[in-house]
Amino acid sequence: MSRQFEPRKPRQFVGSYRPKIEGYQKASGSSEFLDDIASGLRFPGMLHAKVLRSPFPHAIIKNLDTSAAEKMPGVHVVLRYDDPEIEALKPTTNSWTSFNTAAYDTMYYPNYRDRKVLGAKAHYSGDQVGAVVAAETEEIAYDALKSMKVQWEELAFELDPKEAMKKGAPVIHPEIDPKSNILPCEELCGPDVFRVRGDLDNAFANADEIVEVQSDYHFADQGCLDTRGCLLNWHKDELTCWTNLYQADQTRMYIAQMLDMKLHKVRVICPYIGGSFGRSNTGDQSYYIFTAIAAQRAKRPVKYKHTRQEDFHDTRNAIEWTLKMSATKDGSITGCYFNGIGDAGAYSEHTIAALKFMTGFEMDECLLHHIPNMKMEGYGVYTNKIPSGCKRGIGNNQLNMALFIAVELMAEKLGMDPIDLAIKNFSHEWEPPPNKSVTAVLREGAQRIGWEKRLPTNQGPLIDGRCKKGFGFSLHDGWHTAWQEEPRGMVQLGLRLNPDLSVILDAPMAETGCGSNSCAVWACADHLGFLGITPEDIKWVEKADTETGLKDMVQTDSSVSYLHAELMPEAAAKLKIKILAMAAKKFEQSIENMDIENGRVFVRSDPDKNMSIKELLWNETLVPIPVMVEKLTPLDKTGVPYEATFAEVDVDIELGRIHVKKIVQLNDCGTVMYATGAEAQLIGGQAMALGEALTEEIVYDKTTGIPLNFNWVDYLIPTMLDMPDIEPVAMEVWEGAGEYGACGIGESVTTCTARAIANAVYNATGARVDATPFKPEKVLAALDAVDRAGCAQKEEVGN
Amino acid sequence: MKNGQGTIKITINGALHELMIGRDIEPSETLSYLLREKLGLTGVKIACDQGACGACTVLLDGKAVLSCMILAMAADGREVVTVEGLGDNDPVIQAFAEQSEPGYGTAMQCGFCTPGFVMATKSLLNENPSPDLDEIKLGLSGNLCRCGCYPAVARAVERVVNQGVE
Repeated sequence: MSRQFEPRKPRQFVGSYRPKIEGYQKASGSSEFLDDIASGLRFPGMLHAKVLRSPFPHAIIKNLDTSAAEKMPGVHVVLRYDDPEIEALKPTTNSWTSFNTAAYDTMYYPNYRDRKVLGAKAHYSGDQVGAVVAAETEEIAYDALKSMKVQWEELAFELDPKEAMKKGAPVIHPEIDPKSNILPCEELCGPDVFRVRGDLDNAFANADEIVEVQSDYHFADQGCLDTRGCLLNWHKDELTCWTNLYQADQTRMYIAQMLDMKLHKVRVICPYIGGSFGRSNTGDQSYYIFTAIAAQRAKRPVKYKHTRQEDFHDTRNAIEWTLKMSATKDGSITGCYFNGIGDAGAYSEHTIAALKFMTGFEMDECLLHHIPNMKMEGYGVYTNKIPSGCKRGIGNNQLNMALFIAVELMAEKLGMDPIDLAIKNFSHEWEPPPNKSVTAVLREGAQRIGWEKRLPTNQGPLIDGRCKKGFGFSLHDGWHTAWQEEPRGMVQLGLRLNPDLSVILDAPMAETGCGSNSCAVWACADHLGFLGITPEDIKWVEKADTETGLKDMVQTDSSVSYLHAELMPEAAAKLKIKILAMAAKKFEQSIENMDIENGRVFVRSDPDKNMSIKELLWNETLVPIPVMVEKLTPLDKTGVPYEATFAEVDVDIELGRIHVKKIVQLNDCGTVMYATGAEAQLIGGQAMALGEALTEEIVYDKTTGIPLNFNWVDYLIPTMLDMPDIEPVAMEVWEGAGEYGACGIGESVTTCTARAIANAVYNATGARVDATPFKPEKVLAALDAVDRAGCAQKEEVGN
Repeated sequence: MKNGQGTIKITINGALHELMIGRDIEPSETLSYLLREKLGLTGVKIACDQGACGACTVLLDGKAVLSCMILAMAADGREVVTVEGLGDNDPVIQAFAEQSEPGYGTAMQCGFCTPGFVMATKSLLNENPSPDLDEIKLGLSGNLCRCGCYPAVARAVERVVNQGVE
C-alpha cells in the first residue's frame, strides 16, 4: 500500500487528492471527442475522405486510372496527385515544431522537407499516395479507391538501417540526398559528432575499468484510443477545422501556410482528445490539406479519420545505441562515448531530435555534465518502414536503455552498489554530484522496493524450481525543465468573473488526459480564495478554439499542468484591483483604503463598513469582469529534478517469461499540482512502458516489407491482468522557478521502466536483454549465452 | 433475422425502436454504427473497430457485448443499454468519476475507454454482484485503457461492491 503524498507547502486545492473536474462527464460518456462532433447528425451532408495507400514498401505510381471512381454513385470528389492544385503544394514535413508555433520558414528541420501532401512515390507499405476520394459513406470511399487501376513500379527497399547506410543501398529520398539514406546535418542538432569535450582517448587509456554495451530500442505505437482525424468545413473563403491533434494554434498556422491563407480565415477547434502520448506531435499533418481541398471542391463538410490500421502512422524512434564507458577505482566515471543509429523510417520527422537533441542538449546537460570526457555521434537513416514520429519520452527511453546497463555492469566491476555509482556521478550542469534530487529518488526507491534483498548477479535460489528473483533500477532526468519551457514562448490566460461570483476560466489547451485542466482550476480556486469560491464555481473552457480563445498550450510532458497556474497570481491580482476600484467608488474611499477577505470588501480604516462582493457586483452593470494576462515562462536556471524506476521480477528460466512483480515509480515533481492526477501519470506510464518492454512490437515480413500487425489483436497492449503491483511516489525535492516551480512528469514516467526490468533480469540470472521487447525467445537466448559462457569458463579452469 | 426487408424492433435505453430495413437500417450495419451514427448515442466509442479494445461495450439483454462486432439486425427483439441509458446517479459512473484516493490515481485520464469500462463493469456486476479483485481484473481484461488507469478502475469497482455490502 502506497503512502499518501504530503505537500511541501500546503495549499487548499493545488497538490490535493480529488476527482478530475471532468470525471463525471467522461464516465457518463457525455464528453465530446472529434468523432462525436464530426458526424452526419451534426453536419448534414458530411462526406468521408479516404486516401489510397501503397501496398508496397517502395514504389512509384506510373499510371493511375481513376475513371471508374469518378463515375461511382456517392463519390463527390476524386483528387489526384497530378492535379495542378495538388502538384503546386509545397513539400513539407509532419514535424514543423514540438511545442512552439512554427511557420513554413521557421520550422524545425527545413532540410528535411521530405513529404508531399499527395505524391506518386510511396516510401513505406501504407504510405498515402496517388488519390483521395470524398464520398457519402466510408464504404463508398473504399470501393472507389479499390476501383482505381494503379500501375506500380516497385523499387528495391530496405528495412534495416545499418544496411540502408551502406553504399549501394536503394536511396529512399534522393530529393534530400541523391547518394545516401543518412539524414544530412542541420542547424538545430548540429554535426554528426555533436558533442565532444575533454580527452576521451586518454580517459579510456587510463581507466581502471571499461564497459562496452549496445542496446536497441524498437518502434512502438502510441496506440491512442481516439484515432487521428479532422473535419474540414468551408464557409465561402473561411475554413473551420475540427481536429484531435493537440495544438490548435499550430494547426491553424500549418493549414494557413500550406494553403496560402491568412490566419483569420482559418479557425481550428480541438475538443477533448482520446489520448496523445506524443502522437503526430503538434498538428502538421498533410491529411488536413487534402481534406480541405476535397471539402472546397465538394462544397460540403468532409471528415477524414484513420482506421485503427491507418493509425499505425508514426511511431517511437527506434535507436540502436553503442556506449563505451570508463571509470576509475574510486567510482568516478571518467568518460563516455555514445554512437547512435536512428531508424527514421520513411520520413525524417523527429528522428534527429530523438537522436541528438535528447542526448547532446538534454541528457548531457542534465545527467552527464560532470563526466569530464565525452564524445557523442549519431546518424539518422531512412528506411522503408513506418515513419518515426514522436512518442511520449521521445529519445529518452532509448538512451536510458544503453546508459543504465553500463552503470549496472560498471558498478559490478568496481564492486560498488549501482545506486552509489549513480549518486556519485550524475547531476546537472548547475550542481555537482551528489545531487539532492538524484539521491532522494534513489534512496526512497531502494527502501520501497526492498533493495537490501538484492543478491549479487545470478546468486539467488531457484523459486518453485524454475524462477529466479532479481531487482533493478534506472534513473533519468526530468526534462523540459532545464529551459523552464522557454521555447514555448508566451503563455496566455483569461478570466471572467460573473456578477454571481462564478468564473469562466480560459486556460486554453486540448485536454488529452494529462489533468492539466484540473490543475488550472485548482490554481484558480486557490488564487481567487479572497472571493470565497471553490472549484465548483469555476468553468474551464473545454475546447481550444483559435477564433474565440487565447493561444492554446501544447500538452507535452503534462507541463501545461503548471504553465497556466503560473499566471494565476497576476490574474488574481488584476481582478482584485478591478473589484477594489468598484468598491472604492461605492464607499467613496481611495483604493488603498479598501481590501477584500473571504468574499467581502471592507474599508481598512473602518472595517465595519463592508459589503459582500456579490452584493457589490449585483448592483453594478452585471457585466462580467474580464482579466487577461500573458507572460513568458520564467527563464532562471534552477537545475533539474530526477526520476527513477525500481523493478522486482521473477524470471521463469524454463519458459523465458519475465514476471514483473512490483514497480516503484518515483518522480521529483518540484511541486505536485494535483496529487491524484500525478499518481495516475506515475501508474499509467508504467502500463505503457511495460507494453514497450515486454509485448508490443511492430513486425514486418522481411521478404515483402509489409507490416504484419497493424491491429490490436496482434499488437499486444497490456490489459488489467498484465499489470504488476505499482507504487506511485510523487516527491517534492527540487524547486523550479516561479510560484510553483513544478515540472511535467507525463513523459519521464515511461523512460526508465524497460531498463529497470532488464537490469532486474540481469540481477536474477546474469542474462542480458538489451533489445526491446524482452520476449521469451530473447530471454531464453540470453540465458543460453550465460550457460555457454559459464561452461566455457569451467573448461578454461579445467584446462 | 429478416431477409433484407420488414422491420426489426430493438429496445434501446428503455425506448422501443422500430427500424425499417432499407430505410432506417441496413442489414450490413453494426450495432455500434446504428447507436452512434444514426441515434447519436456517442457514449459508445469506436477505437479499434475490430473487437480488441472494449470501448464500444454495451449491454445486450444485460450482458456486455462489443457493439462493433455484432450486426444491428442481431439485436432484433432484444434490449440494448448504452452508457446514456444508465441513471444520472448510477453507482458505477459515480465511482469512476469520483475515484481519487491516494495510491491509485484517477480512474480515467483521456476518458475515451471509460464508458466501455463502465458498461463492462455493469455486466460483471450483473453476473457476480460481489467479485473479488482477481475476478474484477479478469472480468475487465477485455477492455484496454491506454492511459493505464487500471488500478484505479479496479479500485472504483471494489468501491461499488463495498457500497452494496454497506
